[in-house]
Amino acid sequence: MSKDDKTVNRRRFLKVAAGLPITAGLVAFASPLLRFLKPNVDPFALITPTSHDAPTGQPVVAATMDELKSPWDFKYFVYTQKYPQYTPDGFKTAAVPGVVIRLPNKIKMPWDWVKPVFKETPTVSETDIVAFSRICPHLGCIYNFVRDWKEVTAGYGGYVPPQQRQHSLMACPCHLSIYDPADPTMPGRVLSGPAPRPPRTFYYTVESDRILAKFVEPGGIA
Amino acid sequence: MADAMGAVREWYRERRGRLDLFDETMVTKQDNPFFLLGPMLYYFWLVTVVTGVVLMFWYEPTPAGAYNSILHIQHEVPLGWLWRGMHKYAADGVIICIILRIYRQYFLGEYKKPGELTWIWSFLGLVLAMISGITGYLLIWNQRAFWAAKTVLTVPVYFDELTAKIPVIGEQFQVGSMIAYLFLGGPAVGAATLTRFYALHFGISLVLLIVMELFVYRTRRVRLNMSLVPVVVFTAMLVLISWVLPAELGRRADPNRTPLPILSDWYFLGLYQYVKYTPPLWAGLGPGLLIGFGMMAPFLDRSKGRRPLERPFFFVAGLLSLTYWIAFTILILFNIAVIEREPPMVLLTTAIVLGLAFIWEIRYRRRQARAPALPPPPKAAAHAHS
Repeated sequence: MSKDDKTVNRRRFLKVAAGLPITAGLVAFASPLLRFLKPNVDPFALITPTSHDAPTGQPVVAATMDELKSPWDFKYFVYTQKYPQYTPDGFKTAAVPGVVIRLPNKIKMPWDWVKPVFKETPTVSETDIVAFSRICPHLGCIYNFVRDWKEVTAGYGGYVPPQQRQHSLMACPCHLSIYDPADPTMPGRVLSGPAPRPPRTFYYTVESDRILAKFVEPGGIA
Repeated sequence: MADAMGAVREWYRERRGRLDLFDETMVTKQDNPFFLLGPMLYYFWLVTVVTGVVLMFWYEPTPAGAYNSILHIQHEVPLGWLWRGMHKYAADGVIICIILRIYRQYFLGEYKKPGELTWIWSFLGLVLAMISGITGYLLIWNQRAFWAAKTVLTVPVYFDELTAKIPVIGEQFQVGSMIAYLFLGGPAVGAATLTRFYALHFGISLVLLIVMELFVYRTRRVRLNMSLVPVVVFTAMLVLISWVLPAELGRRADPNRTPLPILSDWYFLGLYQYVKYTPPLWAGLGPGLLIGFGMMAPFLDRSKGRRPLERPFFFVAGLLSLTYWIAFTILILFNIAVIEREPPMVLLTTAIVLGLAFIWEIRYRRRQARAPALPPPPKAAAHAHS
């Protein structure tokens, strides 16, 4: 009996002795294999996937002041960014569609994100011009600026805004999130639908007569 | 430890003989069309693979060339419309067969011992078929495809909210974004996305074909286990429908404009409506949990009988899921949902219906327990209760 036990033990010992280097070899392959799929990961950095995936963009003229004279004037613009892309080129230029809106009243700009990421301190804190990224913060479709709120009710899931919000709204065709661009405390507040947060904003400066969209709040998939 | 492994092995050994990938062991029941679903599934799958390879001769997987190459296939390449139509409609056939077959297995209690493995494989098959579907319809590079790819792969990003709750490493550990980036080939939908989707679309079927061949080699079963008549009829149907109703192309993808309304392919519509109702984290977790629970059905359903009325709770749960799927699809097709109003209604209905089903189950089991100790023959018992 005791002889049998010994044989089993020796077998188990040999199994472990052979298994360990094989397992170690497989584990050693994990990092290169991941980098085959995602070349911009640092070697052995398995848990910090996104540090190299930040896009970069160039300032673009969103609109001139003439185009936004009266309340609820708006203009669509396109801000292009270079995104990392795992192709031989390594990069892809993708558009971030934006909308710049003249609001009827001044609101506080939600620009807390500008300083930590882009090292620039906004000089303006309250204004009546706001610029949003039109990439829906929910799942990335392009939402629309809808001049007449009745169109929102008719086409975007039957939402009827309360009295004080019956003005132009923003609404997404995919999952019917509805945003209020003129909310005084949170521009782009979610009024209805599944979106978890207001749309991302652009940081802009006004130079002579032109509104220059400089950065867009990071996050999401383009 | 060794005991547990032994128990698992024993469990598997008892069931593997009854593992049916395509209802191969149920040939005698084929006078009932519901038992033709297995071989039909295999047949449609093979048609999809073969026509897919033919389409690869002309298809160009680049953002600039994809849509044009499909226009070319559809309108200029001789018989291109036929290959493309057969590919699309046979793929629809695969999905229809899988879904109907899963409901057949469910309502007839086929997932009970020793059918657990077959059931789990059916569910895996459904998931893989849906992934093949979504990776396939991106390849057209039309509006539907582009926005489907973008929304579907933004869903995992919200898993970061969950992993961020892990102490210490949570902030760094962005598994959700990682998943999205690996599929997209970067943080934006582009050329890499198309290449990766192309590889997955073909790769899934390739790997499954090898698995299927190994299975046939090991079990010596017959591959396409149905008579020639249905094969001819289905082929004729595929050709006819490709001719009468050419596979649609949609509009070229435009990353700067999402059309209103926008719909997904038909088998995702119910899910799409659900995503409108829930916070985005649940858009990923919900279907995941649903599939998980579905797969676990054999282990959750401890009732003794196989007939629907002998296990009331699971019977009602199955009917409810089917009803929701159809209702959500109708809501989104006709764009008549009021998304503010409906989620509480849906939750309330679910709670009430499942509650009633639970009461039914309890009452049924009490009555069974009170029945005479020696059960009468099963047929008579079913008669007495119906």
